[in-house]
Amino acid sequence: MGKTIVCQCEDVTQGDLEDAFEQGFRDLESLKRYTGLATGLCQGKCCIAHAARFLAALKGGDEAAADPPRTRPLLQPTPISCFAGPEELSASPASREGQK
Amino acid sequence: MARARRLDRSSDNPYPHGEQVEFQYEGRPMLGQAGEPLAVALLAGGVRIFGRSIKYHRPRSPFCLHGHCSGCLLRVDGLPNVRSCRTALRAGMQVERQLGWPGSGRDLFRTLDWVYGERLDHHSLLTSSGTLARMAMGFVRKMAGFGHPPTAEPGPPAPKRRMSVPAVVIGAGLAGLHAAVELGQAGHRVVVLEAEELAGGRLCDASCKLAGATGWAARRELLSRLSALPGVELRLGTPALAVYGDQAVLQVLAAGPDETLALEPQRLVVATGAYAPLPQFEDNDLPGVLGPRALDRLVCGHGVLPGEPVLIAGDAQETLELAAALVERGIALAGLVTDRPEPELPAQLRTAKVPRVAGHRILRARGGRWVQRVELAPAGRETPDLVLDCGLVAAEAPAAPAFELAHHAGCRVVFRSALGHLVQTDAEGHTSHGQVLAAGHCAGAGSAEEARLQGQRAGLACALGLKDEPGLRQRLAALKA
Ligand code: FES
Repeated sequence: MGKTIVCQCEDVTQGDLEDAFEQGFRDLESLKRYTGLATGLCQGKCCIAHAARFLAALKGGDEAAADPPRTRPLLQPTPISCFAGPEELSASPASREGQK
Repeated sequence: MARARRLDRSSDNPYPHGEQVEFQYEGRPMLGQAGEPLAVALLAGGVRIFGRSIKYHRPRSPFCLHGHCSGCLLRVDGLPNVRSCRTALRAGMQVERQLGWPGSGRDLFRTLDWVYGERLDHHSLLTSSGTLARMAMGFVRKMAGFGHPPTAEPGPPAPKRRMSVPAVVIGAGLAGLHAAVELGQAGHRVVVLEAEELAGGRLCDASCKLAGATGWAARRELLSRLSALPGVELRLGTPALAVYGDQAVLQVLAAGPDETLALEPQRLVVATGAYAPLPQFEDNDLPGVLGPRALDRLVCGHGVLPGEPVLIAGDAQETLELAAALVERGIALAGLVTDRPEPELPAQLRTAKVPRVAGHRILRARGGRWVQRVELAPAGRETPDLVLDCGLVAAEAPAAPAFELAHHAGCRVVFRSALGHLVQTDAEGHTSHGQVLAAGHCAGAGSAEEARLQGQRAGLACALGLKDEPGLRQRLAALKA
């Protein structure tokens, strides 16, 4: 064992971050692309913050991590059946009345 | 190591409590309580390893219990990668673990973790010759990955409902519920989307204290106020999946239990809270190491104690209150690792003589399949001078606000080392997007009190954005003072 896990989904370790930084991947987007961090099932919910703090500490400032990598829909794994249904224009109570 | 046990539950506990049912785990019958999360039933039944990690095949077990990590994935009724902490137990469920050879419990590929003790650099692994690289790739494809394709029939297509509403609030936690109350009181229609089956967010935690009251009491009071407001529609089990903010109309996509919602609000309040990241020490992913809120939910909420004694580490007020809540329930503590001075600890911790460890941090967790002890070192040192035996660990980690949905909409997100990436707001909760507001932990609130206040302000500001009213203006000004 003896690993400090940063990203649990993709098994990215603190050592991986250090190595990537050494090789010149010194912003969040490049760190993500090189190590695979934040590309797993949870899409960075738990590891982006670690990587950002790692960069801010090494580069000496919060600006180093200012821009998080682009976050794209969907927020969580969702069955395709959620999007396969017919569309109903709603007559639900909360729907049309509010709109003027 | 103590066996898992179930605790008595107090009557004010908000978590549902069903009758006993039987289900199948790895082909064997097992008992649990209907409606409780599958992950909780398995932990109560003594299951330690839920699966294996993707690369090193390290043991995986629930870490967050709030549907944010990947520790609890299982194959359920023929569907792979089901988050068992978000899946309610039903009688007859067929549950299997999904990674490892010959199985997840004993997995030969685990040796990889030891062979590549430092790290396995996949960028340069077997790349010297083309043939070798192709063979290696084939092997990697076999052993890595998440589960196997589903054998279950796909679910019936969910109907999609498009609705225009004046306001949508994402997240029925402290900030979101308070925002919804303000909107409802101002007479506006509002749809509140909550991913979990239980509304309340942090108010469901035994460690939550709000203005002297327990979170559970504050939750009951808040929900009864909310249900008295006719304009508020609370949708549970309905995670918001996306926000589209660059079109002519603002759109929120959400997946409900039996329909998919495409909401078109005039104003949106994002109150998505924060995630619990892994605390940073060696072997921090060992089963039995949990986030403090996960431990709170498991032990105080569901009444399941998978191991004892418990080690708690952290300086936040909630972390101290969690330790106190455990002591109140008669649970043995291995120690409380905190730099908060003795007089600041809750009274229960001072009288029960809980061993307090100050000036130390956790260096590593130890144990094969479940945590057995933790090594601690004085600050700034890399050699341990203290080892504590324990059967469960809750360790705090710096915050990770859930900024994503606001980020989808195009709201400005900033980074502060102490707080993480957070949605930038003004004092009223306005973000850089004209129709979107944010409040609570996703906008940098650090305490329950602060989240409540931010929620109220954002709710009022949102109501004012829909319709100007001097009374609301005054109330908002008073809240800002
Ligand atoms: S997602 Fe289930 S334990 Fe984290």
